[in-house]
Amino acid sequence: MLKGIITLLIFQFLGGCIATLFSLLVPGPVIGMVLLLIFLMIRGSSFKSLDDVVSLHLRYLPLLFIPAAMGVITQVDIISKEFWAILISLVFGTIISLALSSKLMDYLITKKENKQK
Amino acid sequence: MNINTLIEYISSTPLTWLILTLGSFKLGIIIYERFNKHTLLQPIIISYVTIISTLLLTGVSYTEYFKSVEIIHFFLGPATVALALPLYKNLKHIKSIFVPICITLVVSAIFSILVAVGILWILDANIITILSMTTKSITAPIAIVTSEQIGAIPSLAVSFVVITGILGALFGTSIFKFMGIKDDRAKGFALGVVSHGIGTARAVEISQKSAAFGALAMGLCGLFTAVFLPLVLVWIS
Repeated sequence: MLKGIITLLIFQFLGGCIATLFSLLVPGPVIGMVLLLIFLMIRGSSFKSLDDVVSLHLRYLPLLFIPAAMGVITQVDIISKEFWAILISLVFGTIISLALSSKLMDYLITKKENKQK
Repeated sequence: MNINTLIEYISSTPLTWLILTLGSFKLGIIIYERFNKHTLLQPIIISYVTIISTLLLTGVSYTEYFKSVEIIHFFLGPATVALALPLYKNLKHIKSIFVPICITLVVSAIFSILVAVGILWILDANIITILSMTTKSITAPIAIVTSEQIGAIPSLAVSFVVITGILGALFGTSIFKFMGIKDDRAKGFALGVVSHGIGTARAVEISQKSAAFGALAMGLCGLFTAVFLPLVLVWIS
């Protein structure tokens, strides 16, 4: 598993180096993710210890953002003042976006597959 | 017996908060599984309740809490890099319907931000709330690093992410029925693109194909948003 951990850390490190060197606006870990994706595409396969470490991280993913999430305790002001605006935005935003995304994808797939026939 | 020293030890060691954080999450998982993985009982919801009420009761500040559990927070970076693997494994699905995927990704990622931000703007919300809303449809680790980058409040951003996930998973199936969506790939992709991980967990219940497209959409949407959102915001201001 150590090889997998080192792989993740190295790619995060490289992402951070590139973001700093070119003063990019994209966060370092995201650049690390792109680099790892390119690495895997070139390599043509993953390896066991990387698979293990990744599944460990993703299995407990919500745990990792608990420290950041608990910060809402310091945002009581904003939340109480804008509660309804936030709620309406989240509920309607999610419903409308889901409806549009699924309809668009469904339409595009049907159109493409009809053409192929 | 030295009760005072013991109390001092308990309130100063990071172990107290690490155990509470890991323990509350484990408790969350147990409750979530016992109730047949009900969407509203996401393990993190139990953590919110337990940890925040403990902080309020003990009067410990968030800064102190965060310092104690910073080691957990550190792993968000490697976890973000780790997202490359599921993306890589689901990339083969792109080839079959490349154009529909690209169009839906770009349109949905932009549209879901504009709708949510537009509603907040009409309702006269504060700029910080609006900025924190822009990352609501991407997976939490990417949302946290991106919201830091754009000057939003990460804790608000994560909470919006979690709620968007839950709402998508709750209403997804009814919306698809109402809109007459038949294709499992479209259902999965929409759930992943709007409601990231929690949406993808719901897509798993629809079908395997749906789950693969959910995971694909979640990775692509996170990547797309993290790359373009900071650029667009700088360009606007």
